[in-house]
Amino acid sequence: MRDLVLLAFIAAIVVMGFKRPFLWVLLYIYVDIVIPQKVGYGIITSISLSMLCFIAAFAGYLLLDDKKGSRFRLRQGLIVALLVWCGYTTLTADFPEAAWTKWDWVWKSLVFAAFLPLTLRTKLRLEAAALIMVLSAASIIISAGIKTVLSGGGYGTLVSLVQDNSGLYEGSTLSTVAIAMIPLTMWVAKHGTVFTERKLAMVFAVALVFAALLVPIGTQTRTGLICIAVLAVLVLRSVKYRFVYAGLAGVALLVALPFLPASYTERMSTITEYQADESASTRVAVWGWTLDYVQDHPLGGGFDAFLGNSFTYNTRTTVEEGNTERVVYQEVTDEGRAYHSAYFEVLGEQGFPGFAIWLALHVLGLLHMQRIRRRYKDSEDTDGKRWYSLATALQNGHMVYLVGAMFVGVGYQPFMFMLLGLQIAFYSLMRREWAGDETVNRPWLRGQAAQSAPA
Amino acid sequence: MIDYFSIALTHGLILLACWRLLAREDIDREGAAQEKPKRPWLKQESAEDA
Repeated sequence: MRDLVLLAFIAAIVVMGFKRPFLWVLLYIYVDIVIPQKVGYGIITSISLSMLCFIAAFAGYLLLDDKKGSRFRLRQGLIVALLVWCGYTTLTADFPEAAWTKWDWVWKSLVFAAFLPLTLRTKLRLEAAALIMVLSAASIIISAGIKTVLSGGGYGTLVSLVQDNSGLYEGSTLSTVAIAMIPLTMWVAKHGTVFTERKLAMVFAVALVFAALLVPIGTQTRTGLICIAVLAVLVLRSVKYRFVYAGLAGVALLVALPFLPASYTERMSTITEYQADESASTRVAVWGWTLDYVQDHPLGGGFDAFLGNSFTYNTRTTVEEGNTERVVYQEVTDEGRAYHSAYFEVLGEQGFPGFAIWLALHVLGLLHMQRIRRRYKDSEDTDGKRWYSLATALQNGHMVYLVGAMFVGVGYQPFMFMLLGLQIAFYSLMRREWAGDETVNRPWLRGQAAQSAPA
Repeated sequence: MIDYFSIALTHGLILLACWRLLAREDIDREGAAQEKPKRPWLKQESAEDA
């Protein structure tokens, strides 16, 4: 039944795509986020849906779509450079088999992120892509949110749509993405032109944000809690009445505390006791290992190079015996522990060159959004306000991701790369618009130098 | 049950969004005049047409 519904849904969009091939790009966004092949049970699982939609999106653009307004930007170049570099490190990987398995999905994520901005050449397309991203992720988040309310969830036990640990279905990744997506959700509801029923859209958005806030509780991931805190601080930048906002946030927190499941508050209270916690201790040890590793292998070890690590360390726990407390050190040996941090993941796997490209990609994104924010800061017209809040939303979401990424290995997460794609397209659209207002001064180009030379 | 609700709600909205996008000229051409689809079955719009 699920299969038929999902297939009918996909078929409907494929058919509509014959009139507007751009819808196939949206379809790929949906397929990549929701992974309907995993949501269904029967025939749908045997079709390589992702690949078919990938090809349809590309073919639709190359063969049927107009290219007017498509530009290839610096950051797309960086993504391509990162892709080429990843290809090289995969060829020379420490663990070729594991590296090729990861390459299988990473290349798609990178290629699509570089391709997406080419297709998002009108403002409506940009908005449509944002809307579909929000709605697709919503299908996972809503389910996770409701289940949290009903059952309280649990670390590694909350199942949303699919019993799986890949993509967005992994707990820590879902928490990070759910929180990073909140600003975009609000923007789509507030400024969207596809769904203009403002009140209904706001009700949906507020409910979705609530569900997103429940995800870190349901999955009991500490990263999610940190992401919420970061977002709460970032939002302070753009609220009108800061004190009222801070007060309301405090009240909300106080009201929410008694409703949190005990297992959750217990787990969160360990956030400062990293020494006692094996999961946290290993992280610190893996990070140290990675730093040593890149000293010897500055060009990186290819995907999943962490499989080569092994270390012994002590965990510290306090044991209560009657009235006294005793500190017990326990020796633990670990092998092949994952990075649990996107920064160390990319550094260890792609070495210094790959890490530099990856970092540049993110830093430039934040700067570009800041540039748009500055430009429209005091804008009074609706368009200016709209772009100001989109830039803020994309920047806030990006910041949340960058903080969450410190503790989760989401260095090549397709959803986040799509968000980068949105940023690139947005900045490109804005630059085209600004170019209409003023010609950029580029005296190093012969034609323009001649024009600006005094007669 | 919860999954079905979530799937139905979000997939329904995605379909509706795609349907609405079909009618929008400005999805392919920036600044194209928005053609309002005719919906004479709505009382208000049929009155406007008359």
